[in-house]
Amino acid sequence: MEIRNVSPQSEAAAVVASPALAAEVRRIRESVAYSECEHVSAVRLSGPGAFAVVDAVCPRELYVQDGQMLHTLLLDAAARPLADLQLCAEGDDFLLLVEGLDTEQLRGYLREWAPGAGQLSFTDLSPSHRHVSLNGPYAWELLSELLGPELIGLPYLGFYHGPGFSCFRSGKTGEYGYELWLERGSAASFIERLLEVGREFDLGAASLAALDVCALENWFFNARREGRAGLSPIELQLQWRISYQKSYPGSARLAELRRSGPRRRAVLLASERELRDGERLCFEGEPVGEVVRAEHSCTRGDTLAIALLSLPYAHPGLGPLDAAGGARAAVISAPAVNNRSLYVDPQRHSYRTRQEQRFPALTERVG
Amino acid sequence: MRSELKLTVERREQILARLRAVVVRQLQYRREADELDPDAPLFGSGFGLDSLDAVEIVVCLETDFGVRLSEHELLRGSMRSLNMLIDFVLSHGDPKRVAAE
Repeated sequence: MEIRNVSPQSEAAAVVASPALAAEVRRIRESVAYSECEHVSAVRLSGPGAFAVVDAVCPRELYVQDGQMLHTLLLDAAARPLADLQLCAEGDDFLLLVEGLDTEQLRGYLREWAPGAGQLSFTDLSPSHRHVSLNGPYAWELLSELLGPELIGLPYLGFYHGPGFSCFRSGKTGEYGYELWLERGSAASFIERLLEVGREFDLGAASLAALDVCALENWFFNARREGRAGLSPIELQLQWRISYQKSYPGSARLAELRRSGPRRRAVLLASERELRDGERLCFEGEPVGEVVRAEHSCTRGDTLAIALLSLPYAHPGLGPLDAAGGARAAVISAPAVNNRSLYVDPQRHSYRTRQEQRFPALTERVG
Repeated sequence: MRSELKLTVERREQILARLRAVVVRQLQYRREADELDPDAPLFGSGFGLDSLDAVEIVVCLETDFGVRLSEHELLRGSMRSLNMLIDFVLSHGDPKRVAAE
């Protein structure tokens, strides 16, 4: 990332992304991008008792049907997120797609918290599979040309298995997103066909850094970034991923935190200048919180940050907040972009005729 | 905190409470109101609301906050989180109905 001083009067710098990163983010936002996903672990748990083991560590009610995914977290005893978890029900088995813990850490976590985990068959899919993802407002179209038109009917948080691959509709960019687990024996030829079909869609690669920028722009939790800040799901606005009605690692601590009432909340912050992780924030001279994680938003052209603010100040519209480095920022409502995937309709639109369509600007906010 | 900002925050909190009540009571979302985080996604993941719920929300915005039908097209980009709905209500609602308790 390059840093450019726009105003010599300002101590804080305006940040611009490298052209390569900006191009990757633009691909995700406007066409289709392809990413290797080595940061995600995949494990199949099978055998009698798989449900009980998963239920013991799952912080949400385990209501998930065959072919469906459930988005949740793995917490430690202090109710801090250790991992972002997508649970996939596959008959009596479960597939666990995990970001934030590697396979051995996951095995250790299950053994620590779920009686009976040691008796289950625990299969690490990474050695036998290659994991890639496709994200973008036209990802559905590219993939349907490769895998067949029935792909268009795959609901969000649904998955299915095909010859040599498994396809999960999820994603953390706010655009149409598909994760593909490809059997290694046929992965190379699959990717070759993908790239060939993708030529008409201007398919290109997107790095993990680009996926992370898009996740922040869309207020998707990142287990490798803000997940390491020691915050609770209450502070992170992730209560939809937990339940207060069941027992799991961290549940007692969460109940305690809820009873005592939250004092701080993570919010989305925007600034025209650079913000840095850990920077203190003041409002009218009073300290009100700090930046947890900041990135340049390639889509908006400003800096976006997750900031932890005292509750009375954690409201959109509040500002200006003064950062220790000299930048001024304001709290905004999440998400920060008006995703094109909201408007692209597989029944009416196509990448080939995109010039004939008019869509709202990615940065348009109607509030 | 300056008084106009304090007023803005109070107004946002009032609208948030009313919208949370709509989600819990009218949409029968099985959670306590304080569990509905203001930036959590309303559709897809998050609260997992569907298109029928979206219609209910539109009706509520019209009847409770005086948002006009002609503005519904703008709503798609605004129905992402409770905070975005609050932004929309503040900018497109009838001020009298927005201010009503």
